[in-house]
Amino acid sequence: MAAMKRNDVHSVAPEVAVDFLKGIMPFNSLDEETLTMVARHCRIDFFPKGTRLLTAGQTDITHLYLIQRGGVKSFITNDEGQVTLKDYRGEGDFIGALGIIRGTKANLNIETVEDTFCFLIPREIFLELIDTQPGFAQYYLKTFSDKVVNTAYNELRRHKWTLRGEEDLYLFTMRAGDLIKTLRKVDASVTIQEAAAEMARHRIGSLLIHQAGDPENIIGIVTDRDLRSKVLARGLDYSLPIEHVMSSPVQRVLSQTICFEVLLKMMSTNIHHLAVERGGRVVGVITSHDIMLQQGHSPYYLFKEIITQSTIQGLYPLAQKIPDMIRNLIKEGGKAGNITRMIAVLNDHILERMLILLQDELGQPPLPYCWLLMGSEGRREQTFRTDQDNALIYADPQSEEEKKLAEEYFSEFARRAIDHLVNCGYPLCPGDIMARNPKWRQPYSVWRRYFERWISAPDPRELLNVMIFFDFRAGFGDATLAENLRNHLVRTTQRQEIYLLHLAKDCLNSRAPLSFFRTFIVERNGEHKNTLDIKRQGITPFVNFARVMALKHGVKETNTLARLKVLADEGHISRNLWQAASEAYELQMQLRLIHQLHQLDNGILPDNYINPANLTDLEKRMLKEAFSVIDRLQSLLKTEFPVI
Amino acid sequence: MLRQLKGLNWFRKPHPIIRQNRKHFDEFSQSRSLADYTFVVFDTELTGLNRRRDQIISIGAVKIVDLRIELDQVFHQYIRPPNLEHTDSTLIHRITPEQLRTMPAMEDVLPGFVEFCGAALLVGHYVTLDMNFLNRAAREVLGGTMSNPSIDTMRLAMGYKEVLFMDRYGHNKMSTSYNLSDLSREFGLPEFKPHDALEDALQTAYLFLFLIKKMKQGKIRTLKDLYQAGRNVDMMY
Repeated sequence: MAAMKRNDVHSVAPEVAVDFLKGIMPFNSLDEETLTMVARHCRIDFFPKGTRLLTAGQTDITHLYLIQRGGVKSFITNDEGQVTLKDYRGEGDFIGALGIIRGTKANLNIETVEDTFCFLIPREIFLELIDTQPGFAQYYLKTFSDKVVNTAYNELRRHKWTLRGEEDLYLFTMRAGDLIKTLRKVDASVTIQEAAAEMARHRIGSLLIHQAGDPENIIGIVTDRDLRSKVLARGLDYSLPIEHVMSSPVQRVLSQTICFEVLLKMMSTNIHHLAVERGGRVVGVITSHDIMLQQGHSPYYLFKEIITQSTIQGLYPLAQKIPDMIRNLIKEGGKAGNITRMIAVLNDHILERMLILLQDELGQPPLPYCWLLMGSEGRREQTFRTDQDNALIYADPQSEEEKKLAEEYFSEFARRAIDHLVNCGYPLCPGDIMARNPKWRQPYSVWRRYFERWISAPDPRELLNVMIFFDFRAGFGDATLAENLRNHLVRTTQRQEIYLLHLAKDCLNSRAPLSFFRTFIVERNGEHKNTLDIKRQGITPFVNFARVMALKHGVKETNTLARLKVLADEGHISRNLWQAASEAYELQMQLRLIHQLHQLDNGILPDNYINPANLTDLEKRMLKEAFSVIDRLQSLLKTEFPVI
Repeated sequence: MLRQLKGLNWFRKPHPIIRQNRKHFDEFSQSRSLADYTFVVFDTELTGLNRRRDQIISIGAVKIVDLRIELDQVFHQYIRPPNLEHTDSTLIHRITPEQLRTMPAMEDVLPGFVEFCGAALLVGHYVTLDMNFLNRAAREVLGGTMSNPSIDTMRLAMGYKEVLFMDRYGHNKMSTSYNLSDLSREFGLPEFKPHDALEDALQTAYLFLFLIKKMKQGKIRTLKDLYQAGRNVDMMY
């Protein structure tokens, strides 16, 4: 009786250990039974600060150590006794996995930097898991595998919200090819009437047109609207060949493109019928209507409301709806790179609509102009509530009178535009980098001189202040002004490397915030209420790196991910570094977005300060990986700019 | 009353398990290395603090072998007290009298616990109290007391803090609470749910590991060292 009871008693055992393991990758993927088995074999050990756990080349590793509380440092000591610090590991991190898997002695020295409690899993048990559990070996051997990255994103979402349902993910999972219906096309030589009859017969709103006699060669598209506005309204002869009224060429997307991308393309081009291509052949048409049918609450509705808005005041509430929309996209699994592009598209449309309406109010401008976007807006990397960074460039006046006219008009224009933007929820730039500041509202030749001075005679301090100008792009207006300026910048830069040196040097000044992990291991008792400024410490190094490399190699893109991609495509950085940097950058943007979304949900003004206490084990781990990429970027800069 | 007397008579000769328990400590040496001893860290929950009237309603214990907590060597049992209807204070322990009614009585639980402890040293936070109740129960149902020496983590903590935090004027700068959860917080230990015998035992085990490895800058090697490091002579008995 007593013996039996005792068995019962024993089975309650390791709840604490099970809970602990459940919070740790990759143990959290184990089934309950395996988890209990592992938990039973756990030992808990305590190592005071300063205890050497492993010695490189000497210690046989008998257990996998999982840090429950405290932290360790890993380092190597060379023959001369010189110590190189490798990294710090904190709660939830592991020690000894590689040695066990490879069957070698420890390859690093490990010493506790704090009083540390560890769960110990016997070597044999760990090896059994490596052999039997899918993903275990991969996790320990490949630190930044796709699987981990994906799990991280999923966890990010799961951790912060309960997902609604799989079907809600369609925008990021469904592909263009999934939504197309039977392909309908007609020969370019058929009459308008025949084409309309074909559309009526199949109850479709659009029809593809192929080259006469060549069904595979799609040359145009006709929609209901074309028939209405180009044929009926103009009283055109129905017997004319359909190619007279078709739109050509047809914009295309690949069938594997996710719906989100398709929608983004439709919104940024304002073209609502796209041909879907598979293996070089057009296989169907996808329309904004098809996408909207899939989901009631689409960004597309907001977009439509914006572009049809007829008063500036009507734009205010629409702009305020953007965060709600973004919230949905993040919940649906949107990645930061996509999300920020969507924010940029919507903000651009607000700006465009507002400036068009403002032009109606003030009358046409005396000279062509272009509204420039700088900084994160210029890079299409805004999150929630980004300060305004804008400027205005206009064509060089040809006379004193024209000059005076332009100054008056654009001064009033910019003043009102900035006020409207504030009302839309875009806060003022604290540094007054806005078009209402006369310094940043200038004709082309003055802008050219600005850049020439920054490039050829850089004052390092000023250069840092105007760094965001190098990310400019056209926001609205005559884009050729911006393009000419960009081309001029690219041309001049090839002669002037000195300002790049300053920018590169600044990049090297920022240290990867690895100490963040060390500090929060050590300073747990709140004397240093320490938070991470994820923008300044984590993201900016990537942005700055991409900028200086893009300027150096004449890359005209302003978006960080796009810059990195072009740099990789052109061979200025390795594919490997490109991938690591893009992932690291995007992951941090994601963390930042989610952090800000949470603040918005709780009625707090969004900022960039992330409290380590709110991060899961995995998030910390991913962040740490992300930060470690900064070192690689910096060493590349040192070879690109050997003099610094 | 009559039954109780009868019970005592029955066990005039101690239960075999008690005799075996005594044997473990016939030759007990304090000079072995700490890692050579097995420790059972335990905690009890009581219906109240009256040493004559109140009863143990649960025992939780974990084993430390080789100075590591072993998670497959765990003891946790609720016990039905003899006079259940008077024990409404048990509610703070998150167990109702109703639930207790289905649990085994002390005479069915204690032999298992004594066996679990084997030749181990007992460790508890303010262990005197737990030992008192435990031995009263042992006398009642097994006819004798347990011979395992015990170590009090509260006294160890006092000794540790005294040395560590005394300023040059002999004043103690630290807070003076020796409550288990206050100490755990002060020393930065992982924290468990209070008022659960097993989790309190685990909490005490963490505290114990912390103290024996931190005291005297880790220079405590043998049980005798530990004994001497304790401020009070009666730390162990």
